[in-house]
Amino acid sequence: MGHTIAEKILGHHAGGKPAKAGEIVVADVDFAMIHDARAGNALKMIEKLGAKSLPHVKRTALVLDHYSPPPNMEAANTHVAMREFAEKHGSPIYDVGDGICHQVLPEGGHLTCGDLVVGTDTHSTTYGAFNAFGTGVEGTDVSAVMMTGKLWFRVPDTIHIDLQGALQPGVWAKDVTLHMLSQLGAEGANYQALEYVGSGVSAMAIDDRMTLSNHAAELGAKAALLEADEKNLAWLKAHHAATPKPVKADADAIYTRRIVIDTAKLPPQVARQHHIDDVVGVPEVSGQKIQVALIGTCTNGRLDDIRQAAAILKGRKLAKGVRMIVTPASRAIYLAAMREGLFDILTSAGASVEAAGCGTCVNITGHYIAGDKQVVISSANRNFKGRLGNPSSEIWIGSAATVAASALTGFVTDARTVAGGDWRAAA
Amino acid sequence: MNIIKGSARVLGDEVSTDIHCSSKYLPGKDTAYIATVAFEQVAPGFAKAFKKGDVLVAGKNFGINSSREQAVHIMHQMGVAAIVAPSFGRQFFRNAINNGLAVIECDTGGISAGDVIEIDPSSGRVTVAARNITRAAPPLPAAVQALLKAGGLIPFLQKHPDWNLS
Repeated sequence: MGHTIAEKILGHHAGGKPAKAGEIVVADVDFAMIHDARAGNALKMIEKLGAKSLPHVKRTALVLDHYSPPPNMEAANTHVAMREFAEKHGSPIYDVGDGICHQVLPEGGHLTCGDLVVGTDTHSTTYGAFNAFGTGVEGTDVSAVMMTGKLWFRVPDTIHIDLQGALQPGVWAKDVTLHMLSQLGAEGANYQALEYVGSGVSAMAIDDRMTLSNHAAELGAKAALLEADEKNLAWLKAHHAATPKPVKADADAIYTRRIVIDTAKLPPQVARQHHIDDVVGVPEVSGQKIQVALIGTCTNGRLDDIRQAAAILKGRKLAKGVRMIVTPASRAIYLAAMREGLFDILTSAGASVEAAGCGTCVNITGHYIAGDKQVVISSANRNFKGRLGNPSSEIWIGSAATVAASALTGFVTDARTVAGGDWRAAA
Repeated sequence: MNIIKGSARVLGDEVSTDIHCSSKYLPGKDTAYIATVAFEQVAPGFAKAFKKGDVLVAGKNFGINSSREQAVHIMHQMGVAAIVAPSFGRQFFRNAINNGLAVIECDTGGISAGDVIEIDPSSGRVTVAARNITRAAPPLPAAVQALLKAGGLIPFLQKHPDWNLS
């Protein structure tokens, strides 16, 4: 009987042999992350644990991204405590403006294929794009990792997802996940890992693959794993990651479910207000008016997202009455976008560009608070009622292409219908 | 593990503990305060009626989304003896075990507020004698029982820094 990628990675870290779905293992963790929204709790748990020493603390990064910049004294003091902790213990730290945890960890070379990585954030599934088992945990878990280097895991079942065919221009990984949310429902993959395979994945650039693994969190997935290929191996090498140990599933691995998606024919998708799994094709709702367009977050704030937005808005203006905010996911992305002249294009079109961080994903910092009855279209990952500070507003979720096309027209718009909406990075 | 017996307090499906049982949207409010108002929006008067030793009976996907560990700390403050639900949000399930709160997965249909519910975590049997209800939940794995018995991951590691879960 064969094994899935999840069974192999967890097994390799828990004594060597592949583990079996359903089993509880104690596994060696390669890298851990604490971000500022959970650091208050995590630091309390470390204190409660009362360990004499934290031998694995140098493999735990602290990231100041959610409260970026801090909206109040309490958050500012959490930042002070995080800086002091990192200084005292020699942990890597990413300060305000450096970027979002799920972007700076891979960019910083902190993980590679075959690794086991945990972070105090549900979107830690992002690391699956690099063939690493990444999953979200809490402060107690991270304190255990710092002290012992290990953590307990229930080995998940896996859903096999075959993406057949390269996406059309104007259609992105975001649309694939939104489509899956319409099929499985939010939490439809609860407790389970996903394995994405097929020509649809191979054709995707790294930025888009990261979206695919990241956004699996909305499906409730514990991990979202991709195989290693020359694209992610080259990316990891360029970011000075450790030697990759690629892990492939066996041909006779056991999956709870197999899903095939005809990605070559998939149209752009959008989640309507309040429910991330209330998803329709963009052409079905193209009369819907929007007032605000937001690009950013760990789901879609990467360079290709900003490039796509700039391709659509080049030499044009936002529709009358539309406000647009672009927040790069990291300082490296910010610099690259600036050097490519993308901010010139976006700012000339009427958008604002903000410092790297979690930005407009959720109203923690006041980066964006919606007014009554305002309709926001966002490239973020969640659209609960009131997430942008006002239960009387609506948040619709789409790709950066859909957001930029909508900002241009003032209506939810299929990027395939506007000039520049077919932009895609050369492979 | 010992049998848990208590009075049922009932919540519906898809209850987010981030929204209804944490300070995420109540900045500056402490755990003690939230324990007095938890779940108020989805079940008015819930926290007030909740007595130490009661069992929280919920619908599917209890504790969905990014679930803060604080939710479990608040539930301890409320005196929650155990939670029974058809399914839990992944992160909440983990947080509950890490903080020594038993979480049992089984169908909760037909169980009403005030019913006396009996849970055997070792076998997974859930009984409401007065209603003739017996449900079979998956028994908690021995490793999970060991964590629960210790009172959670931190007290466990204080005693067993070598992770001896057997």
